Amino acid sequence: MTLDELILKCKKQDATAQGELYKQYNRILFAICLRYSPNYTEAEDNLQDAFITIFKKVEQYNGKGSFEGWMKRVTVNTVLQKYRKQRTFEIVDEGQIEDEVVVEIESEDIPLDFLLKIVQELPDRYRLVFSMYVMDGYQHKEIAEMLGISDGTSKSNLARARMILKNKIEEYNATNYNT
Amino acid sequence: MKKKKNIDNFFNEGLKNLEATPSPHVWENIQAELKKGKKERKVIPLWIRLGGVAALIALLLTVGNSLYNSSNTIVAPSITNETTKQPENQLQENKSDIEKQANDSQVASENKTLQNDATQDSDASDDNASKNKSETKSSNKGFINASEKASNTVIAASNNSETNASNKSKEDQKKNWLEKNAPKNEANEGIASSKNSSEKASSDKNRKDANEDLINKDKTIFDSKEEGIVVNENSEKINSEKNLVKTEEEITQESKNKKSIFDAIAETNEDAVSEKKKKEKPEHRWNVAPNVAPVYYSSFGNGSSIDPSFADNPQKGDVNMSYGVQVSYALNKRLSVRTGVNTVDLSYSTTGIEVGTGPVAVALSSVDYGGRNIVVTAADKGSFANAAPSNGFGDITPKSTQGDARLIQNINYYEVPVELKYAVIDSRFGVNVIGGLSTLFLGNNEISVKADNFTDVLGEANNLSSVSFSTNVGLGLDYKLSKKFTFNIEPMFKYQLNPYTDSSVNFKPYYLGVYSGLSFKF
Repeated sequence: MTLDELILKCKKQDATAQGELYKQYNRILFAICLRYSPNYTEAEDNLQDAFITIFKKVEQYNGKGSFEGWMKRVTVNTVLQKYRKQRTFEIVDEGQIEDEVVVEIESEDIPLDFLLKIVQELPDRYRLVFSMYVMDGYQHKEIAEMLGISDGTSKSNLARARMILKNKIEEYNATNYNT
Repeated sequence: MKKKKNIDNFFNEGLKNLEATPSPHVWENIQAELKKGKKERKVIPLWIRLGGVAALIALLLTVGNSLYNSSNTIVAPSITNETTKQPENQLQENKSDIEKQANDSQVASENKTLQNDATQDSDASDDNASKNKSETKSSNKGFINASEKASNTVIAASNNSETNASNKSKEDQKKNWLEKNAPKNEANEGIASSKNSSEKASSDKNRKDANEDLINKDKTIFDSKEEGIVVNENSEKINSEKNLVKTEEEITQESKNKKSIFDAIAETNEDAVSEKKKKEKPEHRWNVAPNVAPVYYSSFGNGSSIDPSFADNPQKGDVNMSYGVQVSYALNKRLSVRTGVNTVDLSYSTTGIEVGTGPVAVALSSVDYGGRNIVVTAADKGSFANAAPSNGFGDITPKSTQGDARLIQNINYYEVPVELKYAVIDSRFGVNVIGGLSTLFLGNNEISVKADNFTDVLGEANNLSSVSFSTNVGLGLDYKLSKKFTFNIEPMFKYQLNPYTDSSVNFKPYYLGVYSGLSFKF
């Protein structure tokens, strides 16, 4: 079955096609959920929500742009819906915003699950902004619009997320390599 | 070995190509959810919708009829049509293609699939599809080569550490999540659609152009493909339907064999609800209470309802009786609503008058004498003696009476109260607060004069409203004699809102009653 056929059948709510689509894309979309969710369990819940939305809304996919991209956007939107309402209290200090945050890494052996863990541990909004900007290529303007915040807040959140992550990596380095 | 790296790049490289396998229950839940969605749609019975429509039409017609003239009543049904269509439309939106096909819109769906084919054809020619394929392939390869190992280790690690650790909490969270699930999904749909709509808007233009080019092609495609497509579709449909049936069967069998999470949750919910209901639900909802009360009638205003000239005369309310029966229905343990019917006799007397007989011209304006020519009338004491013949009093022959003459107004109402009763203290000895409205239908009424040796009925008052209202507040004290019988005593204050048709009368009557009775629960 080609992808086009698969989409067509999914539009007809064909259960086999839905299963096939899930089989093909659950790993990619689950990765997104993992980056946007605070933990593994919620990531699974969000994946479930995302797929249900995809199956229900597949008819709206009009063939322009990649289907994978469309599914990713649906997934991101699904997760945003859940976490964007939770406000974090922060002082917006534009002066502190740096674009370049450089971290020192001792060898390249920081395990991926540690990276994922510290991203998940970020406060909700920081995590969303960081994932959207750094890994999914959204611009601040888009992020601001999607999260219902200002550009400045988005930038400030990103800067703070970077600082938190940097500190955690340095801590990790300190405990693991400076013996 | 130390190395400096931009943090963004560092995370991007690490996590962008991450892939991870969720546990199999995610897919099971998705299937269950999709199936549930279908079931729910089917479950909404037709009669609820039809009943709702009927009720709405009935309501609108009655309201419309009373508010507007007959010309406007045509508007009412058209409104109901619109409102009833809306939920249907929403349902339709949610409906899957399968249901659509089941409906008679097969032609439409066939057209759609043709269109889709056409757009896909155009995409193929634009190399989009092939690009996408190659992209996904390459990314797949990438993931196989580069990140399979890494991600697997990640998953293994996180699986081990997190799933084991949080297995219990996971179950709990799941339960919570399941409860939230339904509304959330709908909201999500909203987002997805809003994002897509912008996408659609931009792409629609391109599509149109492409479609125009394709129109010519379409014809040929249509001719050549028609047979094939129809055949394909049918076979696909049959397949998919078979599969659906199969999976549904499988699922129902499974769910028969073991309790699903949904059932378990539903059961616990039901238990909780029924327990709650038990707590809230009173044993006997209906209650009937015959009652009797002495009622005292009086007024807040200084005026007189009979004639303005008596405004400064001493007026006194009399004590009469009211009796009737009330039926109450307990909404819950504390709150009940009640109605009934009572007959109420009210009266008050005006003193400081003298009585005389004379022509109708000198009669009291608020009394309907019933066509008599010579009538008994009353006036402020001393006005007959002081009166000059020219001002009308000259025609009156004063009646000599023994003792103080009184002008008495008697009114009889049939009262239909609608009241709420709330139990503040609900034990053997109960304290309740009561509030509500009564509709008062005017029964008999008469104005009479009375002296020690003389009584005469002047006639009916002509300024009383035939239907009036009162606001009621009161305190209900009761003592439960047994499970079914309760003795009640209820001091009530009832203020009349529009007892007189003549609003200039500064007579604001109220009555106080102490209703007592025995109530019986069933």
